[in-house]
Amino acid sequence: MPITLLQTLAATNDWRSIAPEIFLGCLGLALLGLEMLLPKKEHGVIPFAAILGQGGLLIAVLAGFHHAADGPAMKTFGGLIQHDRIGEMFRVFFLITAVLVSVLGAVALAKQRMPKTEFFAIVSVVTAAMMLLVQSNHFVMLFVALETVTVGFYILVSYTRTNPLSLEAGLKYLITGALSSGLLLFGIVLLYGVGGLNGLKGTSDSAMNFGALQNFLAQNPDNFLAAAGIVLVLAGVAFKIGAVPFQIWVPDVYQGAPTPVTAFLAVGSKAAGFAVLLTLAQVFSAYAPLVTSVLGVMAAATILFGNLAALSQGNVKRLIGLSGVSHAGYLLLGVIATLHGQVLAQGAVIFYLFGYLLASFAVFGVMTHLAGEDDADQRREHYAGLGRTHPFLAVVLAIGLGSLAGIPPLAGFMGKLLVFIVAFKARLYWLLAVAVVGVVLSIYYYFSWIREAFFEEPNDPGATRQPARTPVGLIPGLVLTLLAAASVLLGFYQGGLAGIIGLR
Amino acid sequence: MTMLQHAILVLLLPLASAAVIALLLRRAGGAAAFVSTATATAIAMIAVILAVHGDRFEAAMEWLRLGGFRLTLGIKFDDLAALMLCIVGVVGLCVHVFSLGYMKEDGAKARYFGGLSIFMFSMIGIVLADNLFMIFIFWELVGFSSWVLINHFHEKQSASEAAKKAFIVNRVGDFGFLLGIIMCWWVNGTVNFSALAHAHAFSTAIPLLLFCGAVGKSAQLPLQVWLPDAMEGPTPVSALIHAATMVAAGIFMLCRIEPLMVPEALNVILWVGAATALYAALCAITQRDIKKVLAYSTLSQLGYMVAAFGLGSIATEHEGKAVLVAAGVGAAMFHLTTHAFFKALLFLGSGSVIHGCHHEQDIFKMGGLRKKMPLTFVTFTIGVFAIAGLPFITAGFYSKDAILHLAQEKNTAVFAILVFTAVLTSFYMFRMWKLVFLGTPRSDEAAHAHEGGPSLTLPLVVLAILSLVGGYTTHEGTGLIYGDRFKGVLSLIPHAEGWSVVAMSLGILAVGAGAALLLYKSGPVDSLAARLPAVFLGLHLVKESFDTAYNYYVAKIQQRFALLLGALDDILIAGVIVRGCATVAELFGLGARALHTGSLHTYVWWFLGGAAALWAFAAGWFH
Repeated sequence: MPITLLQTLAATNDWRSIAPEIFLGCLGLALLGLEMLLPKKEHGVIPFAAILGQGGLLIAVLAGFHHAADGPAMKTFGGLIQHDRIGEMFRVFFLITAVLVSVLGAVALAKQRMPKTEFFAIVSVVTAAMMLLVQSNHFVMLFVALETVTVGFYILVSYTRTNPLSLEAGLKYLITGALSSGLLLFGIVLLYGVGGLNGLKGTSDSAMNFGALQNFLAQNPDNFLAAAGIVLVLAGVAFKIGAVPFQIWVPDVYQGAPTPVTAFLAVGSKAAGFAVLLTLAQVFSAYAPLVTSVLGVMAAATILFGNLAALSQGNVKRLIGLSGVSHAGYLLLGVIATLHGQVLAQGAVIFYLFGYLLASFAVFGVMTHLAGEDDADQRREHYAGLGRTHPFLAVVLAIGLGSLAGIPPLAGFMGKLLVFIVAFKARLYWLLAVAVVGVVLSIYYYFSWIREAFFEEPNDPGATRQPARTPVGLIPGLVLTLLAAASVLLGFYQGGLAGIIGLR
Repeated sequence: MTMLQHAILVLLLPLASAAVIALLLRRAGGAAAFVSTATATAIAMIAVILAVHGDRFEAAMEWLRLGGFRLTLGIKFDDLAALMLCIVGVVGLCVHVFSLGYMKEDGAKARYFGGLSIFMFSMIGIVLADNLFMIFIFWELVGFSSWVLINHFHEKQSASEAAKKAFIVNRVGDFGFLLGIIMCWWVNGTVNFSALAHAHAFSTAIPLLLFCGAVGKSAQLPLQVWLPDAMEGPTPVSALIHAATMVAAGIFMLCRIEPLMVPEALNVILWVGAATALYAALCAITQRDIKKVLAYSTLSQLGYMVAAFGLGSIATEHEGKAVLVAAGVGAAMFHLTTHAFFKALLFLGSGSVIHGCHHEQDIFKMGGLRKKMPLTFVTFTIGVFAIAGLPFITAGFYSKDAILHLAQEKNTAVFAILVFTAVLTSFYMFRMWKLVFLGTPRSDEAAHAHEGGPSLTLPLVVLAILSLVGGYTTHEGTGLIYGDRFKGVLSLIPHAEGWSVVAMSLGILAVGAGAALLLYKSGPVDSLAARLPAVFLGLHLVKESFDTAYNYYVAKIQQRFALLLGALDDILIAGVIVRGCATVAELFGLGARALHTGSLHTYVWWFLGGAAALWAFAAGWFH
């Protein structure tokens, strides 16, 4: 390898540009160090340290947001990483997610006899990996970051290892995750191979680089190997977002995983998948007919399957998992719209994700407080009478579920509206019809949950014994209030966020 | 403060008053009355300040933008708005003061005065609006406040039915109005009045659809049925809303959209107005209830104004050039102004009579009130002379003659109808006047009648003075009480020349009043029914015809159709579609749930199937 190439590569290794990710990695190490150094009875400060570190980083990133986001898109590390506005927004998104997961984790782990430190360390590392994932500009970077995320989740899902359901969920996630990684890797290899074949136009010796690949695909718009590579890569991403037919792991894993991890999977992992999909949609834009038809079929199937399967679920963790599957379907509509040249579609998807974040964590927060010792066993009957005994939790739950169902004027409604508008502009009428049917179906199960909380009474105390409810602490209470208030406010006034996202 | 801020203040003050009453003073009737009346005083003062200051302006702000569609909220304050605002302010203040005395004993004073404030807000909104869409919003709001106030005595079945009727009948007109607005926006690309003044696209449909709104709100044929029933509301409300201001909003709106008018549309408007004027005058003759007489009289006068508007422009020479003067607008607005004064006076006078007679409303049970209630008698007499058009000293003479003069110039048939209506007007007014005030008391209530306190009499005096002096205007558009502040409207009034008009007016008055005074005896029975039963029956049938027709339609057609729809809803929608869909969805849900077997082997097969399907996609099998 010529020395000059290495020199240019070294010159573009701008470590400052990934300072947040480095900080998170160091935070994870520091938390482990704290556990070793501190006496056992002082371990209660570790969650606080984690939340403080992640929250402080969030504030720092927000403070530098305009500086970082308004500049021109910049590539570092020899084109491995691209820094742009969308990447910066997802950094904020994942940091918020990390803080919220840590808060929920602090509440949930207090009920378990489990080591409490690794959880926060792993959450920090996984968050860093997600942030790198959405900024990657190269398949190697993408794969490494993705595997870091997935390996982190293997541990997190089976974290409560005394619970057989949690262990089983971990195993299922491991196997299906490995399968999907295999598909993804196969797709990447196909693309890399065909992109470097002699005799084709626009080949490159670095076809894993997104720019080079996009250039190659544009010049070979009907190459079968490239098409096969593309669909296999899409299959790998579809696993992350839980789109049909790669959604099959969702209910079991969501149910078995500890509730904060379920939240992390539902929001963080899914958002990461969509961020990658938004990037790849641009890379694959030369194959737009293929990609839109694959994603279109997936979206329709995902919406219908998610909602129909959720209808008859009694376990709320499975229910929220399947409803999350349907949300992935609505989001796919936005992604397809970007391929039809809708400039606002990316903004709509990101807005939807923010609304989904607020609403989901409101619901998961309530779930965490209601979960008993057996975290996997959370049934809808457990919510009976919540409105009377815990009005605060019940109201937060109602706002969260209402927002997920897309009831105006909550944030979830505005998100759905924006995505549907861009889909309409892209003339995706059939998909819109399916989506509307899905929304109608979803109202049924969301509202029967709300009804359970407000209008039902625990009928026979012996038959369905409700686990003891955790009292709401100061910080979780504050966080839940903020989430609910933000869900309402964002429904009324989108100005600030919409401006940042680029919706106007 | 700039004049624009004054205008915004005058709009928002009554809203604030209504909010304060609704939120804080629901149980404090006295305080609510004070707040509302103080607000009305401020409105009247600011309205006069705005008018006298002479500044005329337009301002707008964007409210909503969806792509190319923009909605603005704005204020258009020209001479027309200034005149209307002054009328609303002054009459509104009189009615508020009158209500202080009239509603003293009422149990729900807070709701009443809150309703008045809401009404003032909505009415001022109509007056200041700078586009049709904004007018429509406030149009619905006056409809709502009218519903609240008619419904004030809601324990009474008839009151709540009347309120419902008023609301629903107005909905019919508003539907056309909304269609007109949409069509206007579609064709012209704007609903802003100033922009519409330069509109180039004309059609007959737009002005006629917009006119539907006026037909509902100003109770023209065939939607006139709600106004007589609306008299179930408290009498001051009848004076303010159902005589002076809200029902006149239709005419005000027509004047706003005058640039859109085409001859065919004007012709329709003209005939609707003339027919309403005549029909309502015929109905008024047989009424026994003092308020019903005045209600039909209001209908008739509103028909006059609509007809005046429909007469349209006249060509005159101005500095050697032929110009079109919108004389119809001038005549209609002029009559609207004087009518607001004298009809509010008559209604408040009737309120004073009803209050004095312990809520007796039958004119055949009154009589002899001249001596019992001298101040009411004098002011009411002024009102009667004003509506009958006594030459020179009353305002009604000038405004009515402007209309008659215009009709004479433009359309002889309509002129004949309007003259005949004028004769009928003085006939039924003097009939009522004689039965109420002359002769001897015919009931205990009338025998023990008494004058109310100053809050009841003061507004009468103010309005009586306005009914006398409100008619003096010149060709240049200046006027005795108007100064030169409303030139934009008042200079459009057509002025009759010569003595023929005076002679005609005197003739009308003499024939109508003379016949009434001769025919009717101060007795407990209707002299017309006794002497000319055929005529009386005929008039009665004329009045009943519309009610019968509507009742038939509602009972026989609409009700049955609704029953049919209800049955369809139960069987088809609730039964088959909703239940059926729910069952199907449930079955699918169970099926989908069964796919999640929990076995890892199955999941791996899923992945394999998915990968195979995707491969097939890539190979183009599904294209």
